[in-house]
Amino acid sequence: MQMKSWIAGFAAILAVASADAAAQAKYPVSPVSLVTHSSPGGGSDVFLRELIKHLTPVMGTSFGVDNVRGGSGAAAIAKVAKSPPNGGMLYATTPTYIQTSLLSKPEIGYDGLDPIAIVFLDPEVIYTRTESPFRSVADAIAYAKANAGRAKWGAANPASLERIALERLKKAAGVQAAVVSHEGGGDLMINVLNGTLDFGIGEIQEIRAQLDAGKVRLLGVVTDRRLPDFANVATVREQGFDVVVTKFRGLAGPKGIPDDIAAQWERAIRQVVASDAYKAEYSKESLVLSVMGRAEARAFTQKFAEEIAGTLRELGVIK
Amino acid sequence: MGLSTLLASLAGVVWGIFGGALPGISPSIAMALLLPFTYGMEPVTAIVLLASVYVGAEYGGSIPAILIRTPGTNSAAATTIDGYELARKGRAGEALGISLMSGLVGGLFGLVVLVLATEPLAAVALAFTPPAYFALGILGLSVIASLSGGSLLKGLVGAFLGLMVATVGTDPVSGVPRFTFGSAELLGGIRPILIMVGLFAVAEMLEQISSPGWDRADGRDTRLKLPGLATWKRIWKANAIGCGIGTFEGVTPGAGGTIAAFMAYNEAKRWSKYPEEFGKGSVEGVAAPESANNVVTATALVPLLSLGIPGSNSAAILLGGFMIHGLMPGPLLFQKAPDVVYGLYGGLLAANIFMVLVGLVILTPCIWLVNRPKPYLIAFILALVCTGVFAIEQSLFDLGLVLGAGVVGYAMRRFGVPVLPMVLGVVLGFLVESNYRRSLVLSGGDHGVFLQDPVSLGLLAAALLLTGYSLIREFKPK
Repeated sequence: MQMKSWIAGFAAILAVASADAAAQAKYPVSPVSLVTHSSPGGGSDVFLRELIKHLTPVMGTSFGVDNVRGGSGAAAIAKVAKSPPNGGMLYATTPTYIQTSLLSKPEIGYDGLDPIAIVFLDPEVIYTRTESPFRSVADAIAYAKANAGRAKWGAANPASLERIALERLKKAAGVQAAVVSHEGGGDLMINVLNGTLDFGIGEIQEIRAQLDAGKVRLLGVVTDRRLPDFANVATVREQGFDVVVTKFRGLAGPKGIPDDIAAQWERAIRQVVASDAYKAEYSKESLVLSVMGRAEARAFTQKFAEEIAGTLRELGVIK
Repeated sequence: MGLSTLLASLAGVVWGIFGGALPGISPSIAMALLLPFTYGMEPVTAIVLLASVYVGAEYGGSIPAILIRTPGTNSAAATTIDGYELARKGRAGEALGISLMSGLVGGLFGLVVLVLATEPLAAVALAFTPPAYFALGILGLSVIASLSGGSLLKGLVGAFLGLMVATVGTDPVSGVPRFTFGSAELLGGIRPILIMVGLFAVAEMLEQISSPGWDRADGRDTRLKLPGLATWKRIWKANAIGCGIGTFEGVTPGAGGTIAAFMAYNEAKRWSKYPEEFGKGSVEGVAAPESANNVVTATALVPLLSLGIPGSNSAAILLGGFMIHGLMPGPLLFQKAPDVVYGLYGGLLAANIFMVLVGLVILTPCIWLVNRPKPYLIAFILALVCTGVFAIEQSLFDLGLVLGAGVVGYAMRRFGVPVLPMVLGVVLGFLVESNYRRSLVLSGGDHGVFLQDPVSLGLLAAALLLTGYSLIREFKPK
């Protein structure tokens, strides 16, 4: 199934090799295998396939996407961790790889990989159906305060970052609310649309269809700054509740990748995210650009994992 | 509609029938395998290709269900009951013909519903709250009584085994790993298809090679036989029941073809003039589930197209196909990309017609294939099943699960415990449990929530009626 992208990669190289060869030192490995735990068409798969379209000419090497499913990401992590540290195989990171490591303690966890870069943050938003009386997260919190035991909030999955965000919100606001987890975003959307829930939490791209059709309204964004596309929607922190979650998309490799390869990646990523063609694609998905090189990505991942572990412990999910 | 779209439809159906007929390759996997190839296609062509794979796969699952008592897909499990009995009586060609034409009836009916009634049916999807899903699962489980083949107690043993398997994985409410024994492989739960492949394919092969004189082929139909007028008269009611139930189950996200097929089988038996033939080779017992699961291929698109909500794994892959081409299914799709929507309708029509044409070509060779000497056949099937299961996730763990389930299935047959209730338990367990607990989280622990929700109340009442009716018939002195 990777054939197509290999071929596309080669074709792209032939087209631009002459023009770009001098622009950057040649990448030592070809082809580079980018591994994801998501199935074809899933979040990380689409992220990688779009990224390599733009990276191929810049890095002067070819890429293939390898969908290694199984074990909620554990299989993919193990495969990458055991590969030679020459930059020939990298893993597309999302918070899932940290959560899986914490929940099931597989032989090789997130700390068996070394972050190379973070590219985007996927903003989480709180939304409700248009018929709802709530205009902001503060409204919904006020309702929860006045009607003890009646508030119902929804998250897509039980051990997800979204549920963790709602549990933190509950604590920050000091209210009682039932946090209902679902089997994915679609399931959750139904219960928001039919009014079973006060509100749901999810990524912009998950709710885009309903948002464009005017069926749902944003109550707040759970990021540290407002989103450029939705400048009139206040952050949850602005509304008085100190909750920020950051879902990230990045790359990690086996331990021991030389610094110059990591630096090459950072340069290439910074170059492609600035290109207009790629910008048009990722801004359509409301991804927030947040490029971090190796050192920053390491610190970020470490801090993120500690926070998640802390919350999962508080929730009683892990000991 | 262009030539490329027609070709995509044909290619999709052929690949779908092939994938559906291979035990272990579910419709969604067959679609996922093709997804990367659609990146460079025109949007309409890509969507039609994927939807045609779905149509072909839902039909293809019935071929091994009839010929070797091994459903190729979850939703063909109900077809094994009477399909295989017919085949054993040398009427394989007839059973295959009925399943093919019932699939066509179901597929076309579903398409008409999809084209005409997407808006009102989307409202049905939205009426399903967690209590209603719980009740729907209970209604599905109420079919166990009639699948138990005589002993209700043994049927319940099977069902409980299935429900136990369904509890493995991440807890649906708290997120705590349950019965995973620290294994990351089990975090996502045990996929029903693996259990099915073990319980049916592997157990059937074990059963066959352990029966005396197993290596002699029995006399069978050697050609496909399409239903004649007399047969149509017998099966039209079963087809109508399948269409009705399939429509309803297809539009409720998460329910899907398996429940539809089992419930259609059960109701066809209830309303049949010849209920005593069910389980012993009834043509209606093939027609009802096969029309039901093919209706679902069209009606499952209702929540996807109108709300942007995928109701099944297959619909989720199709959603991926839309998004790769920058299309967002949902309330605005009909305005933003009407050409794709109508192209999809045309593609589905073509897919159903191609399904029959391809069926006419391949079914007679299929019958020939299973009439080969048994030792070769069984070795071939086992090799095919094992490579298929392993190839999908490259997981030896999955392969172990399948072989383990095969041994369990063999033991169950030896002790006369029916496997279909177990399949139902595996498929419905998570739906029932997660929605039960979700409802209680919503209501703050009050069980009254199941009676306050009108949809839930209605479905629970229906389940009670059906079970009561079956019990009375079971214990009524004859």
